[in-house]
Amino acid sequence: MSKPQAGKEPDAYTRQEMMAIATGREIRDGELAIFGVGLSMLAGFFAQAHHAPHVRAMTEGGVYGSSPVGGLPWGIECNRISTNATSFTSALDALGCLVASGRCDVGIIGAAQVDKFGNVNTTGIWDGEIGDTYRLPKTRLTGAGGANDIACGAKRYLIMVAHEPKRFVEKVTYVSSPGYLDGGDARARHGFVGGGPSAIITTLGVLRPHPETKEFELAGWFPFSSPEEIVANTAWALKVSPSAHVIDAPSPAEIAALRKVDETGALRKR
Amino acid sequence: MTSAPAIHSDAAMPPAKLISLPEAVRRYTWDGMLYASGAALPIGSDAVVFGRELLRQGRKDLHTVFHCNSQQLNLLAAVGAATKAECGFSGLEVFGFANGLRRAVESGRMALEDYSNLSIPLRLLGGALNWPFVPATVNIGSDLQDRSAFAPEDYPSRGKIGMVTDPFTGQQVGAFKPLKPDLAAIHVTMADPTGNAIMLGTEWSRFELSRAAKRVVLIADAIVDPACMRQFPNLVRIPEMVVEAVVYWPHGAWPQSSPGMYDVDEEHMRAMNAALATAEGTAEYVAKFVSAYDGVESYLEMIGRERLAKLSATATAFLMDPYRKWVLPAEEVAKIQAGSQAA
Repeated sequence: MSKPQAGKEPDAYTRQEMMAIATGREIRDGELAIFGVGLSMLAGFFAQAHHAPHVRAMTEGGVYGSSPVGGLPWGIECNRISTNATSFTSALDALGCLVASGRCDVGIIGAAQVDKFGNVNTTGIWDGEIGDTYRLPKTRLTGAGGANDIACGAKRYLIMVAHEPKRFVEKVTYVSSPGYLDGGDARARHGFVGGGPSAIITTLGVLRPHPETKEFELAGWFPFSSPEEIVANTAWALKVSPSAHVIDAPSPAEIAALRKVDETGALRKR
Repeated sequence: MTSAPAIHSDAAMPPAKLISLPEAVRRYTWDGMLYASGAALPIGSDAVVFGRELLRQGRKDLHTVFHCNSQQLNLLAAVGAATKAECGFSGLEVFGFANGLRRAVESGRMALEDYSNLSIPLRLLGGALNWPFVPATVNIGSDLQDRSAFAPEDYPSRGKIGMVTDPFTGQQVGAFKPLKPDLAAIHVTMADPTGNAIMLGTEWSRFELSRAAKRVVLIADAIVDPACMRQFPNLVRIPEMVVEAVVYWPHGAWPQSSPGMYDVDEEHMRAMNAALATAEGTAEYVAKFVSAYDGVESYLEMIGRERLAKLSATATAFLMDPYRKWVLPAEEVAKIQAGSQAA
């Protein structure tokens, strides 16, 4: 899926690396940010290493002031993220006092499935709709974790997901973490503290919500992809924004910063 | 307790509560109970060894509360000992999906009620404070609220996460049901023999849980002199007065990690999860890693001394430096335990 793009770039990089860099570019210096485990953590700490040195990064375990040491942490409480922390608190503190309160500027979450209004499913795969009576999933996934709390409370959040038709669906079977629900001002009906997803960053490009309808549209494609490829890999009728454009390839400095964070090459193996 | 500075020697101490792991499980667990694990996320500090002992004593029909799934729930689910679970997250982070849990959920042998990583601690806080409900600004408006695995017909469910009217604004807001587990088996880095505990790394939800649970058993990687607690009282987030018993079990979180003590055992994390993917693999795992030891020493032998040394050479070891001088040697812990278990 993520074959190196050796033919196109002097510094070969993978699709996963491009996705992480494009995600990191969304993080601004000084922001209060919360990163989940895995790719989103690499994207966030890449931003810190490259252009956002004063980002105030935390994990949902309440691990503050730290950065990964020795490679991608196995989890958000892993020893690899516990060797240089300045404060350890709790989930209630990180996800509650700092996220549900509305203080957190930006979060990064992953998805098994995402739909055109940015709703995320990480709970299970069913054959067809669930129906009026809850029934067992064909495939059980990981559940919501802290992503639901970030989706409800962060001022904005980013969704990182591999771009495949089975993942980009018209309507997710199960909403684990709310995006814009049915679109428009649906979030306001529930009184969510946070603003909703500001971008979906994929292995092929970047989608952003329409300001009124909140339907996600193609905003940009990577040097190795194209609007056609992205539309073909999206199971809903993806609109292409009039301002859509090709997104810059990673600079050598970006690649260097990312690989410093991704010491063990997790993003290059995939 | 030999090394307490003279200045503390007159202070009254509650009795030691050190007991063996089998004794703790015999005394404080039963079939069908509401059992909570006190852990730090799926790959961190969790008393996985307590779950092994639950299986050794044949406990079944457990209704479990795991803020996050861990290898403990993965194992209990794989064996079929847990028939209900309430979780905020049910994977194994970078180690992937939890195969034992997955098999139990997909086959219908275990009903998994989904919450999030904030709603579980909020529900525990509600239990700790004896609140009637906890206002919910998360989980609402999604299928975490609308779908209930415990009450499948209730759709859109309002029995799981209800709605109440805010008396000040008149707005409808969500309401979580408080949790009061029958027992919390909480993993801590160090405890003194009476049950004062210090946790290194994120405490995750162990503070709220220690107050929400009807009974608390600590499983500690190290037993320290009470003088350690008097040196760092601000760090004692679990005081002895909420603790029923203390179990000394080094490497009790294995194959998971315990900051300051040991790293995650990557190889065993993968091998264990692979084994739990099938009934045969699970039976083999139980024979090799649940039934195969008899006490702390043979448990450590089972893991392997060389492997333990490697895992203990963690980059976080410096976190233990301030406490090391108060760590009691195993012989002294055994002596105290012999007295307190009999009492």
